[in-house]
Amino acid sequence: MDIHELKKQSDLSYDTAVAKRNALEKAHSRQVMAYREHLFRADPTTICLVRTLKESQDSFYLLDTNSNPVEITDPAEFLSVLVERNQESLNAYHQIYKTFTKKDA
Amino acid sequence: MMSRGVLLFCFDTEHTRYHKILERCVRLVKRNICREITVITNFSTYKKISPMGFINYKFIEPELGNKLNGRAWNNVDRHMAYELSPYDTTLVMDIDYFCFSDNLKQLFDTEYDFLVPDTAHDLSGRNSFDQRRWSMIPMVWATVLLFKKNNKVRKIFDTVKYIKQHYSYFTEMYRIYSKHLRNDYLFAMALQQITGSRDTRSYHSHCPHCHQTARYSK
Repeated sequence: MDIHELKKQSDLSYDTAVAKRNALEKAHSRQVMAYREHLFRADPTTICLVRTLKESQDSFYLLDTNSNPVEITDPAEFLSVLVERNQESLNAYHQIYKTFTKKDA
Repeated sequence: MMSRGVLLFCFDTEHTRYHKILERCVRLVKRNICREITVITNFSTYKKISPMGFINYKFIEPELGNKLNGRAWNNVDRHMAYELSPYDTTLVMDIDYFCFSDNLKQLFDTEYDFLVPDTAHDLSGRNSFDQRRWSMIPMVWATVLLFKKNNKVRKIFDTVKYIKQHYSYFTEMYRIYSKHLRNDYLFAMALQQITGSRDTRSYHSHCPHCHQTARYSK
């Protein structure tokens, strides 16, 4: 491999790594959602917590992204919104990720 | 019905045609935020702006004197956003902040009186935002901020004005080593002051944004 080919490969690897990082950040950013006038993160932790609490209680309290307490009165609806947003963001990330895999190959 | 809208500041300088950036920004705001827009500008800039559909304009003369890299930087009027905004809930944005998604739109649907991002993501991967490690207070990014008109928020803006008047004293006190005036610092210091030097996190939102020097494409 000559030096130009090496540089090309190196640049491609760097660009792909930065683009991957940005795409993941975009997905994380998209997971922040407003619900009942508070902000929540539709991440696995929140989804698991809501699902666990929902099994035993009709309403419960959570902390939003700024550590303010919020009463959740309709856990089923909240869980549905969380899952929807989580999967929407990850689906978009998956689409982008596939293009990186093709470039790497 | 509470009014909601986006407030933008735009003043051309000798070196930079900010109105061109404004035109790009407005297109994206209209497409993704879908709210009424008010532009704060001066008449000489206004004359150069291409027609962009329904936009409100308010004219002020920008406060001069601030410089960045030796060039005029007319950014010191942000503290007047509270008085200048015609909306009950206002999203203030730098015009070089391009919103390619509707993520910011949902901030209007929260009960927070004042939201400002406390983190920024550098798209170039160089962590070029991490320059404020000497500062004694958590920093915020006034690139985007959302506020509602009420007594509490008015006090925040009053504090911003007070700190602006005594900028060198406060930057020295908080170890913010910067010669020029930045709105990020003003708001960070104001929040620190108004919360009694306690945790300001309840004001923060999460909102990644792109540094001006970020490389978008080859």
